Amino acid sequence: MKKPDLQGPGLWTTSVGSFPKPEYLTKARSRFARKEIDRAELRELEEKATREWIEFQDSIGTDVVVDGEMYRGDMVAFFAEEMPGLEIGGLVRSYGNRYYRKPIATGPVGRDHAITVDWWKFAQSLTDAPVKGMLTGPYTICDWSFNEHYDTRRDFVLDLARAVRDEALDLERAGARFIQIDEPAASTRMDELDLVIESMQIVTEPLSAHTITHICYGDFHHAYPKMLDIPVDQIDLEFANSEYSLLQDFEDAPFTKYIGLGISDVHSHELESVDELAEGIRRALKYIPADRIFVDPDCGLKTRTVDEAKEKLSNIRKAVDVVRAEL
Amino acid sequence: MAIRTTVVGSYPKPPDEGQTFTVRKTLHAIERGDATGDDLKRARDKLAARHIAEQEEAGIDLVTDGLARWDDILTPFARTIRGFEIGGLLRWFDNNVYYRRPICIGDLEWGGPSSVEDLRYAKSVTSKPVKAVLPGPVTFARLSVDEHYGDHDRFVEAIARVVAQEAFELEAAGADVIQIDEPALLDAPEDLQLAKEAIGTITSELKSTTTLLCTYFGDAKRLGRELFDLPVDGFGFDLISGPENANLIADAPSSKIVQAGVIDARNTKLEDATSVAATLEQLAQKIGEDALWASPSAGLEFLPREKARAKLHLLAEAARKVGA
Repeated sequence: MKKPDLQGPGLWTTSVGSFPKPEYLTKARSRFARKEIDRAELRELEEKATREWIEFQDSIGTDVVVDGEMYRGDMVAFFAEEMPGLEIGGLVRSYGNRYYRKPIATGPVGRDHAITVDWWKFAQSLTDAPVKGMLTGPYTICDWSFNEHYDTRRDFVLDLARAVRDEALDLERAGARFIQIDEPAASTRMDELDLVIESMQIVTEPLSAHTITHICYGDFHHAYPKMLDIPVDQIDLEFANSEYSLLQDFEDAPFTKYIGLGISDVHSHELESVDELAEGIRRALKYIPADRIFVDPDCGLKTRTVDEAKEKLSNIRKAVDVVRAEL
Repeated sequence: MAIRTTVVGSYPKPPDEGQTFTVRKTLHAIERGDATGDDLKRARDKLAARHIAEQEEAGIDLVTDGLARWDDILTPFARTIRGFEIGGLLRWFDNNVYYRRPICIGDLEWGGPSSVEDLRYAKSVTSKPVKAVLPGPVTFARLSVDEHYGDHDRFVEAIARVVAQEAFELEAAGADVIQIDEPALLDAPEDLQLAKEAIGTITSELKSTTTLLCTYFGDAKRLGRELFDLPVDGFGFDLISGPENANLIADAPSSKIVQAGVIDARNTKLEDATSVAATLEQLAQKIGEDALWASPSAGLEFLPREKARAKLHLLAEAARKVGA
């Protein structure tokens, strides 16, 4: 397990990835879609929003910063748009009033150019804190796409794994010390957890950065402790949305990796109090030492408003300070 | 003679590429305070009518309203049944689709109809027979959190009583078919006896409406032939995610309807109508043409609108080829 390149007693603060886009950017994205502004104009506003989010994270003392994904829409479509073999499909609903464009594999899938490296370099140039490289994992890209090409899901996933590995290597060469490969779909089918592990091995094997995967919305009780076999240094999980029920599983099988401890529900407008958040951290400390814990929201914050997201992040930071003082 | 065709329930809410997505826009407008519940009702009525029209145009014999007003099959009921609260998001089986988990915090009581107005509206815009969809008690219980009863059997029975009241009201409102969805039963064979009693609680309230018990996303082999002891008029199966269901269907009692999901509702790749027709032909030989209904493998909302519509047309085309 690769130690994170960070100082201090632990309980480092970070984020899962996405932040809400400010109104001027969502408007610009709509105008860009209607061809009323050009790519350069949109890019300028994406950079402005990225700068604002990095300044905010620095202002509250975030240990590992994210760029907030101001230039991304959906986490699968963003990669699919750049990858040969994947086409962008029509709108499908994920929940409530939320829809995404589900890609379709229509040929052999690969990667012919770096997709995230320019943005990572830009974000890292704005802060002294390490910026996470943010990738969507091969299993999730497969699971959240239609397949009109491959005979088996395994063939599809392994082609994707090689493409994601190449992107991760490019990020590392650019200087990324933290690389997150999100696999929110990993908990979907217990009989495919071996495929998640096999494909992640392809991605992380050549890397020397601290590697993280984020998994959400699933039946963790069935996936645990086998999910500890996923070859990454840190697993980031939602605790607020599941009312910390996963901690019970740590009684029987200790959590052996670094943990990303999601303590704030990203699908609720409700702002958790500093006391409530601090209590969540204390509960986790019974099972995992502070120097193996990163503290963050449950998931990407993009569905909240900018103010809600900032309040949630500020309160998490305050809760960490409260608990750090007790260590 | 052609095989009868139907849908499993849901249909995509987004319009065709490039057209205005009124329901989504209206929901956003409501969040901003720029639209009212009446605006939303009008938008959803229009969507439901369009869903039905597209099924009719494709030649589907037994239609639904596409569950045009629902986010999932539990929430509309959990909202009106007293004793439930709405909880966090959880994955809907093995799909990249999420539902809000109901939390039971008190005695469950029928709090008025959940879906009866939807059915009345659907009946008012079509002359075709209309199917109503209800969540099965076992699935409802297994996908919820019980903080009140502390006993799975009692929880299921309590749900069955309120769902039975809804079924009674749906029949009174003119539902031609009531489909009770029990996808969670596939992974819970230990609940089969419990399901038998719970489904009995519902169907014993009904006089004339045809009832179906529908499973999807997998095969029912762990339930075995005992599944057919459940007191309903017919059974729905997903033959795409559960190809072995074809074997079970061969054992269906001759008095039962079989709704066979032969078109993949979860992948865009279009089937070949001739091979689908061949599958239906084989099933018809086993159980008889009259007992067989052809359907997609699950609700079509997993697909973009154009793909879902193409699948409906393909289904009807395949059904027409049988015996032709």
